[in-house]
Amino acid sequence: MADKKKPKRTKEDKDEDLPFKSILESDEAILKLLKSYISSSLTAAGSSGASSSSSSKPLTLADLSLSSSCREVADLSLSSVQTEIETVIVQIARSILAGDGFSFSVPSRAASNQLYVPELDRIVLKDKSTLRPFASVSSVRKTTITTRILALIHQLCLRNIHVTKRDLFYTDVKLFQDQTQSDAVLDDVSCMLGCTRSSLNVIAAEKGVVVGRLIFSDNGDMIDCTKMGMGGKAIPPNIDRVGDMQSDAMFILLVEKDAAYIRLAEDRFYNRFPCIIVTAKGQPDVATRLFLRKMKMELKLPVLALVDSDPYGLKILSVYGCGSKNMSYDSANLTTPDIKWLGIRPSDLDKYKIPEQCRLPMTEQDIKTGKDMLEEDFVKKNPGWVEELNLMVKTKQKAEIQALSSFGFQYLSEVYLPLKLQQQDWL
Amino acid sequence: MAGGDSPAETKKGSSKTSKNSKESTLKQKSPAEFFAENKNIAGFDNPGKSLYTTVRELVENALDSSESISELPEVEVTIEEIGKSKFNSMIGLIDRERVDTKLYDDYETDKAREKRLVKEARASEIQAKNLASGKKNKEPGVSRVLKARGEASYYKVTCRDNGKGMPHDDIPNMFGRVLSGTKYGLKQTRGKFGLGAKMALIWSKMSTGLPIEISSSMKSQNYVTFCRLDIDIHRNIPHIHLHEKKANKEKWHGAEIQVVIEGNWTTYRSKILHYMRQMAVITPYAQFLFRFISETPEKNVTVKFTRRTDVMPPIPIETKHHPSSVDLLLIKRLVTDTSKKTLLQFLQNEFVNINKNLAARLIGEMGPDFSPGMAVKSVTSQQMVRIHQLFRQAKFDDPSGDCLSPAGEYNLRLGIIKELHPDMVATHSGSAQVFEGHPFIVEAGVSVGGRDVKQASHILLLFIHLIEFLDLENKSDLLDVIPSGINIFRFANRIPLLFEQGGDVVTRTALKRINWNSYKINQTQDKIGVFVSIVSTKIPFKGTGKEYIGDDISEIATAVKSAIQQCCIQLKSKIVKRLQAREQQERKRSLSRYIPDATGAVYEVLKQMTEEHTKKRKRYKEEETAMLEKVSKLIITKETLKEKLAEHVEQVDYEMALEYATQSGVSEEPRENIYLQQLNPNHSNFIDLHSPTFVFRLIL
Repeated sequence: MADKKKPKRTKEDKDEDLPFKSILESDEAILKLLKSYISSSLTAAGSSGASSSSSSKPLTLADLSLSSSCREVADLSLSSVQTEIETVIVQIARSILAGDGFSFSVPSRAASNQLYVPELDRIVLKDKSTLRPFASVSSVRKTTITTRILALIHQLCLRNIHVTKRDLFYTDVKLFQDQTQSDAVLDDVSCMLGCTRSSLNVIAAEKGVVVGRLIFSDNGDMIDCTKMGMGGKAIPPNIDRVGDMQSDAMFILLVEKDAAYIRLAEDRFYNRFPCIIVTAKGQPDVATRLFLRKMKMELKLPVLALVDSDPYGLKILSVYGCGSKNMSYDSANLTTPDIKWLGIRPSDLDKYKIPEQCRLPMTEQDIKTGKDMLEEDFVKKNPGWVEELNLMVKTKQKAEIQALSSFGFQYLSEVYLPLKLQQQDWL
Repeated sequence: MAGGDSPAETKKGSSKTSKNSKESTLKQKSPAEFFAENKNIAGFDNPGKSLYTTVRELVENALDSSESISELPEVEVTIEEIGKSKFNSMIGLIDRERVDTKLYDDYETDKAREKRLVKEARASEIQAKNLASGKKNKEPGVSRVLKARGEASYYKVTCRDNGKGMPHDDIPNMFGRVLSGTKYGLKQTRGKFGLGAKMALIWSKMSTGLPIEISSSMKSQNYVTFCRLDIDIHRNIPHIHLHEKKANKEKWHGAEIQVVIEGNWTTYRSKILHYMRQMAVITPYAQFLFRFISETPEKNVTVKFTRRTDVMPPIPIETKHHPSSVDLLLIKRLVTDTSKKTLLQFLQNEFVNINKNLAARLIGEMGPDFSPGMAVKSVTSQQMVRIHQLFRQAKFDDPSGDCLSPAGEYNLRLGIIKELHPDMVATHSGSAQVFEGHPFIVEAGVSVGGRDVKQASHILLLFIHLIEFLDLENKSDLLDVIPSGINIFRFANRIPLLFEQGGDVVTRTALKRINWNSYKINQTQDKIGVFVSIVSTKIPFKGTGKEYIGDDISEIATAVKSAIQQCCIQLKSKIVKRLQAREQQERKRSLSRYIPDATGAVYEVLKQMTEEHTKKRKRYKEEETAMLEKVSKLIITKETLKEKLAEHVEQVDYEMALEYATQSGVSEEPRENIYLQQLNPNHSNFIDLHSPTFVFRLIL
């Protein structure tokens, strides 16, 4: 139905003179262009990556002989998590009984212990650890919380159930005081045990949503994301339930913000240009990152990102692309390689003549963040990004995706995105 | 008088009228009349404030007088409440009973009384109910009876000092003529307008009609002048009742001024006491005795602020104007008043930071109409504008702070310790800075803890009070002062500022621009005292009452911030040391607190494992099974784990305490000098116990 409505509407729109509308070719022409791009990029990837993809596995730390100095976690089965915890606890008990108190050796997740590996295009954790003794005023709290979390996860293993981070926090509010504390220790624990956070059977509340040309099974139920209404399907928190992905989409559109996502979902953008639209509503959570990676790996689709034209937009892009520092121990599973920066790019501000009143001046903090980002390796590796970021810092202007609404609420879906696709304008 | 008028304007206006009154035949207002009509500018807005301002004018005059002869000030202030009948008898009026009760404003009609009685009955009913239900009721059910309009209260204010005194013949003019002295030059002064006791006299004339009484004696005089006078407001001349010499038996020198005014002690009690206390903070070398004598003896107040040091800051030196600070009017006045002949001499001698060379260069720059040798009196108004322009554009060295007399870190610190007994105090004295050609020095003190430092709730009451009084436009600004535990004490030219705290640069800086947390000071829990004293040849006051310094002068704001920060840095190291010491004391307790949680979690897992093991659901390694068997046989229990961990904590605590002791050694706080009051040398009532090596003297 939506398909039929669309052409009608575009006819009406022709009377209005939206900027750049005239350059826009017909949808069919754009689709054709896209198809040729995708097939060419696929063959290119196939030919260049033939040697490495013959094993059908991307590079790992071990391939780079960095595994000795870097730390990475793996998905562990419940029983092995249980065994790991039991080993640790028995050690502690022995140490206590010997009168030596006890301490944990927790891998440090500080910035100084992070390493960007260009070959992998993601951040990994180095091998530095910090000792967390019980008998020290500064670490007694964290040590106790760690012990408690270990015991709780042991219970989860025995019962084979999932709980949320919030559940975990509420088991002992008095001790944890604040959910950020139990969350941080949870990451420490997964790092310490060498398993992913999902292997601990602790999940975060659903945050990300997906809509568009995607069919997958969630815990056995088949989900068709074109039939999920306007809001789309919430991305399931435990990725191990997800499988059987099928799609006729041509690309995945990653959107930073809810507002732009709703616009695209309501306009059924995915029916005009077959695609899958995903958003994590700001900083992405683990589930969304895992889901995006799974889609990319299984469906082999290009990922195009639509983020704000400010340092934080790029930062969010980087988290999808090469991982966050907080979760770098699991970057292998969380990162999606080769995300293209579609927009809004600083150069678009002038290119699309976004009016001055819709641009915002960057604050001191913004400019500082922007300059810091220029030093980051993941930006440096892409000369196009460096250029764009330099332009942003120079003009000291930022703009949100919503700035495009100054040409009408539907400008984003009617003109901007089709034009971008037509020109294959991504970096 | 509109509140928005700036004081500078009105001041200018007043000096003009005084000049014109001599020349023109038009009916002009005398300066005394002007101030009588605009008494709010001088701080006489209402009876309560008038009482407060009278006290402070008298106290400040007394301090100036003592300091001018380098005598350690001793000031006695007495406020005596005078009831209506006593007041009437003083002015020779007979008390009259009300005959026609309906004539009065507070007359209660029958209807109103009925209403009131019903209301009171209901209130007492509610109260009884509350009492029965055990609820606490805030207010007793007595309805407040409003004070009638005519029901004024009168006070006799007396201030006695040990200062310079006044020459016998000058006294009438010194009190009875407003704007009589001509101030020439520039000096850091205490007084707000230089009106001093004159304004109090005008107020007494307006409210009670009773004359002022002055006793005075100078060091060289063997008599005491006694003078009773009032002022002829319309002619601006003194009206002398009595002017005589009396014998000086006590060899006293100084002045005693007594004035009877209308006032309001109830509402301004706390302000006056705060003023005295803050004055004692900033002038610890002075001795203050404050007394309030009421008609009901239980309301009497006597506070003595004893001297704590005999180190007095130097007297501020009179200085000349800085070229960048003068305006056109001032140039005109300087030209008229100068004794110098030529323009070169005028520039060189009437301003600071202009030497002969610079004066010549300036004259060269002024243009062909000017020459070094030209007579200064011949300079036209137009030429003055040129001079003024050049003064504003040319570069001059900054004026030095030598002419200023800051309280000094020593005095500030002493004052704070003496009056507040804080746990910790730090002081800092900044270097002289310049704003619009006037040098200024900012000194700050920050104290933590202490006696009588108001807590937030107390401030709240005080501020609500204040807001009601002043009816300020920026009420919201004032209100956001309330919730924190920061107490601000502001001083300008060594007098406390008590009003309009909200907009003041010090308040704003302390509340908004200092990150107390970074100095380990807890803004909400600690009792923080912030003391900032600014001295300058011209304090850039804001508002009509000259009660606060605006926040828009970045030079002053920066200096205030940095001074406070310097204090905080000093405090931080002390606080950190204390925290460490406290950590030492509390280490064992804070570690032990977590023992049950940690061992509980460990035991829980062990128990689960034991269960798995006995049910043979899971196979364990040998060492593990050994432990699990002990758990099942209750050899290892929650309690054993707890005990063992507690033992370990104890041992670690002991080791660390030992380490701390060897590291920190025995450190002591630097000692404060104590100040012993000088004994009266005339007092010879001693018993001496002699021994071959010493004399032991008992003072009776």
